[in-house]
Amino acid sequence: MTRAVARRIASGAVVLWAAATAAYLALLAAPGDIVDSLIGDGADTPQIRAQIITEWNLDRPAVVQYLDYLWRAAQGDLGRSYLLQRPVGEVIGDQLPPTLRLAVAAAVFGVVLALVLAVTTRHRWVRRASSTAELIIVSTPPFLIGIVLLSVFSFRFGLFPVSGDQGWAALVLPAVTLGLPIAGVLAQVLRDGLDRALDEPFAVTARARGLTERAVLMRHALRHSLIPAVTLLGWLTGALLGGAVIIEQVFGRPGLGQVTLQAVGNGDMPVVLAVVVLAAAAFVVVNTVADLAYLLIDPRLRRSTS
Amino acid sequence: MRRTRPAVVATALALVLTTACSAPREGTAAAGRPVSGGSLTWAVETEPITFNPHQYAQAKARLLVWNTFEALLTHDTQGGYVPWLSTGHQVSADGRTYTFKLRTDVTFSDGTRFHAEAAKANIDQFSVDGYNPSVRAVQLRNLDRVDVVDPATVVFHLRQPDVLLLDFLSSPQGAQVSPKSLKEAKNLKAGGPDLAGTGPFLLDHYTAGQEVVFTKNPAYNWAPAGAGHTGPAHLDRITYRFLKEPSVRVGALTSGQVQIIEGVPATDEALITANPQLSLSRGLNSGSAYSYYFNTTHAPFDDLRVRQAFREAVDVDAVLTGVYRGSATRAWSVVGPTSPFYDRTLEKTYGGDAAKANRLLDEAGWTARDADGFRTRDGKRLTVRLVQSAPFVRDRRDVLAQAVQAQVKQSAGIDLNVAVVDQGTATQALADGQYEVFDNSRADTDAGAALNLLLHSGGAINRTGFQDPALDELLEQGQAASDQARRKTAYQQVQKLTITDQALILPLYAPADQIAAGTTVGGWGFEPAAGVPASAYDLWLSR
Repeated sequence: MTRAVARRIASGAVVLWAAATAAYLALLAAPGDIVDSLIGDGADTPQIRAQIITEWNLDRPAVVQYLDYLWRAAQGDLGRSYLLQRPVGEVIGDQLPPTLRLAVAAAVFGVVLALVLAVTTRHRWVRRASSTAELIIVSTPPFLIGIVLLSVFSFRFGLFPVSGDQGWAALVLPAVTLGLPIAGVLAQVLRDGLDRALDEPFAVTARARGLTERAVLMRHALRHSLIPAVTLLGWLTGALLGGAVIIEQVFGRPGLGQVTLQAVGNGDMPVVLAVVVLAAAAFVVVNTVADLAYLLIDPRLRRSTS
Repeated sequence: MRRTRPAVVATALALVLTTACSAPREGTAAAGRPVSGGSLTWAVETEPITFNPHQYAQAKARLLVWNTFEALLTHDTQGGYVPWLSTGHQVSADGRTYTFKLRTDVTFSDGTRFHAEAAKANIDQFSVDGYNPSVRAVQLRNLDRVDVVDPATVVFHLRQPDVLLLDFLSSPQGAQVSPKSLKEAKNLKAGGPDLAGTGPFLLDHYTAGQEVVFTKNPAYNWAPAGAGHTGPAHLDRITYRFLKEPSVRVGALTSGQVQIIEGVPATDEALITANPQLSLSRGLNSGSAYSYYFNTTHAPFDDLRVRQAFREAVDVDAVLTGVYRGSATRAWSVVGPTSPFYDRTLEKTYGGDAAKANRLLDEAGWTARDADGFRTRDGKRLTVRLVQSAPFVRDRRDVLAQAVQAQVKQSAGIDLNVAVVDQGTATQALADGQYEVFDNSRADTDAGAALNLLLHSGGAINRTGFQDPALDELLEQGQAASDQARRKTAYQQVQKLTITDQALILPLYAPADQIAAGTTVGGWGFEPAAGVPASAYDLWLSR
């Protein structure tokens, strides 16, 4: 058991290092250098360039800068933001909680809605209507969903405030906007899983034992259909982080999405690297949770690993 | 929209909508008489990247700067200077010594007194390496040293005459920060509540990505002569909420979630003007007009006739109407139309003549046409490239470029290749000369500062590559002369040379800011000279 945990941690660390390195190389390969980005569309003279280079120690070879970055990162020092002139840890620390709140609320909403949809829309035409609606939601840009929800529920009826991270009321619309496409995809996957499970011989056996169709669905088939859905947890994390960029912009919410967008646009390397490492860490955690969830859902896997 | 002064009405006859200079305080009449107290929420488009005025680089953040900070000078509505934290200044006959008398009744919000040592400390701060190399290399290029004569007198010694010192001393970068803050602030370059100024508001708190809140400075009692009132600000509290999406800002205003917004896109203006509870006003920005600069260092724009042809091929009015639905003000010069140096005689002297464009291109040898209908010379297509950096694209300038692209293709067979790319790629293209058209507008309050950067042969963003000692001489005259009339003459010659004679530039429109507010809000308007939304000092909310 301890060996398994140690292996997990070690592989997690390797993933983080690989992500940081890949991001570092990508930024290095991107056209234009950091000095260009910092100058932006402002005045550009050799003196200004020289000062920026001195300020950020950019005159050292790329390898030295990279090793220095790794050494500091390992000690928990993520550096200073070129653009915001504040420690990166502080920038990320300020913006992480609102994004987490949004992501958790959206995930919970999306998962619950998907389960409800998959289980309740089993009849022919309801099922077709739900499935069509899900496909429409999944193929609509979240930006548009957000604007429509805002126009109706905030601007027209004044039920929810538009902006900011200010209590539950302000969280409803962004979480729904971010959660709807997730519900759409998950509901499709779950429904597909239910269909397949209900065709299996065990379903026939269960029915033969006199179980009601509802009991077969809830107690047996649902468990089977969860396995492919859990596999999507990694995708879910990506959808939440990527979606947050747009949702936060539309709703004027603070959060990592805004910070990331600004950092990428301005070549703010320390912030971009920190966000990449954070996202990689989120994936490692989520995948670990997914692996544990498999064991919980499917007893057969528990036997084969022990 | 109601106006209160005869001068404003007169100006409105000349311009379709009010401009920066004509209406420093809009909406006053609509909301009645000023009331003290209350709090207000203002939705703004742009989140400042810094709250340290010395690091200021976003014209859109200027309205926040003046809530907490003030400068030695400010602008009046006639394009001149009025004292703010100073009581007056004198310039020596050789134009190299500026002596400022300072106010003695001003206190920073951290309790420090404002005096000559503080003013010197603010200038000296720019000598700290890495603090703001750009200001040191551009605005303070000619500054030799600052001397303190007595607590109320400070002297600026210049290496050579430079009237733009006054522009600097009235700009956010020239704003006065408490010397104590300069030493002790936790994140000096980022600014924040621990950076003390002398302004009518105190920065209460800043939530990145969401809002910044200011509260009234009750001790404030040193408003400049042109302000709408004296004493402390009317509002107890003002919240600026960052709403980047224009339609969300407009929706927040129409649903009463915020009382005032800035940045109303042309497509949403009808929503405001159709609503009797709301009013809208536009202010033209100072500085340089949004223009296309032709790269003269290589073909095809090394040929004057091709530059002229490109200008004639574009029907600017039609393009602007198509993209901005008549809300944009056409520019005829690189100098913005509200600047005292603007040369009105350039209006309607060029452009929009497709027949002339085709004749000029024929003369220049671009006679053949390829399969796509573009002109060619020696088998090479007449292609010109415009590279736009995505983070700096605003006002739908990418759409505008597409409209110009369609026009020059249709009217003259010119292939305008528009690429919207990341900042790094854009800088690379400019550095390597891989562009023929460069687009830019600058928000400098003194247009001369913009012209120095854009047109002088040593200018930091001279993207035309055009070098002419006579032009440099004129620009230097404009910067050195302390007499406004002589400056005007010099800059008019600059405009004639670059716009009429050399056709280096295609001016497109004068950048503007828009404010929309509910009728309960009074005292809003645009800053004189800069033409951007003014600070919250004169704002009030009727009850």
